[in-house]
Amino acid sequence: MTNLEKYKSAFVSSLSIDAKLLDKNLEYNTIDEWDSIGHMSLVSEIENQFTITMETDDIIDLSSFEKGIEILKKYKIDIK
Amino acid sequence: MLLNKPRLVQKLKDFHTYLKNNDGKIGTKQRGIDMNLNNACNLRCEHCFTESPKGTRVKDFLPPEKIAEIADQADELGIFEWDLQGGELLLRPDILFSTLKAIKTERFYMYVTTNGWHMDENTAKKLADHGVNRVSVSIDSMDEKVHDEFRGKKGSWKRAMKALDLVQKAGMHPYLNITVGHYNAKSEDIKLMMKYSKDKNYKTLLNVATPAGMWQNLTDIMVDEEDKKYLIEMRKEHKNIMRNLWDPFDKNYESIIGCNTVNRVYITPIGDVLSCPYVHIKIGNVYENSLKEISEHGFSFKRFRENSQACLAGEDVGFVKNFMSKKGTSIFNPVKAEEIFPEDHYDKFSFDN
Repeated sequence: MTNLEKYKSAFVSSLSIDAKLLDKNLEYNTIDEWDSIGHMSLVSEIENQFTITMETDDIIDLSSFEKGIEILKKYKIDIK
Repeated sequence: MLLNKPRLVQKLKDFHTYLKNNDGKIGTKQRGIDMNLNNACNLRCEHCFTESPKGTRVKDFLPPEKIAEIADQADELGIFEWDLQGGELLLRPDILFSTLKAIKTERFYMYVTTNGWHMDENTAKKLADHGVNRVSVSIDSMDEKVHDEFRGKKGSWKRAMKALDLVQKAGMHPYLNITVGHYNAKSEDIKLMMKYSKDKNYKTLLNVATPAGMWQNLTDIMVDEEDKKYLIEMRKEHKNIMRNLWDPFDKNYESIIGCNTVNRVYITPIGDVLSCPYVHIKIGNVYENSLKEISEHGFSFKRFRENSQACLAGEDVGFVKNFMSKKGTSIFNPVKAEEIFPEDHYDKFSFDN
């Protein structure tokens, strides 16, 4: 799996959403599934997929699909 | 909304990780505090478990200094959610707001449970400004008359419904609390309440009816296996229905983390700590021991430490008959854990081992 596929898979499995919803405009709290509780599951799944532990500041900053890609660069994960 | 509370985010993540590493079971992870801050109430509900309608201990409350101490201890234990309840706390806004300040709400998912009677726009805004994330309002029926009769006061349904709207407008999470027992689990009325909550974009919290307080020994009210299955079906269908027993992170809406006794302790206005709001078994007092010591004492009793997929107070008839049926038991006259459980139910527990 490419990093992008892993990243998308984290959203789909943790939030139980259709992959069609995934684009750079997807933001926290804009769909029912991505609420604060879903957010914790998402973070956990991203951590699993890339074997990282995210810092609290990054968990808080993860406000959109696009922002997540930017944050993961800090962890030396490049998503194209 | 929770993401502006970094400490809360950290604790919530720790909780999620704990569940994942513990086969999805709550185990001995401390989760929350249900605090009866003051027992005075303006309504006279038939099912009240705190004896508010009898006027029991309505003048007592924990002072802000003690609250601050408990909050620090709770934070250290990783407790992330705190429900202030009564009585009816909006009767004494002075106590409520000084308590919220003492708690330092930026560390907790903070909520207030109210009957909504005294909620107005200013109060809702003030609650949000004090870091309250969620306000829970109990509704007994979509039929105004039924609710009012149950609550003992005409107009209470209209005020409760209005309160939920005001909470939402103030940017907090509105929770419509429903008490579900065998007598109403599959009723049309429950369906209507769930639908209403979903349509309004609220969350629904189900509290199962427990034979405690005014309903002591009435085990017929308890949900049975069929009712439980039905409630899970409703959970899957609506996706906005919560129970403390259910896994809040499960997007398949079927996992059960287990009974929350001791994981969510109940603190009374005189400082007694009970294993939960409905199991009136005392495990300590905040004036005598720290929250950590009290929790360790609670988890030393096997029935509280071992995972139960059923709510002990609302779904486990055996537990109710054996340990919750002593006459005269109440939140202000609880039985002591060391007296109600047999000796071989005790096995000293420590968080440090």
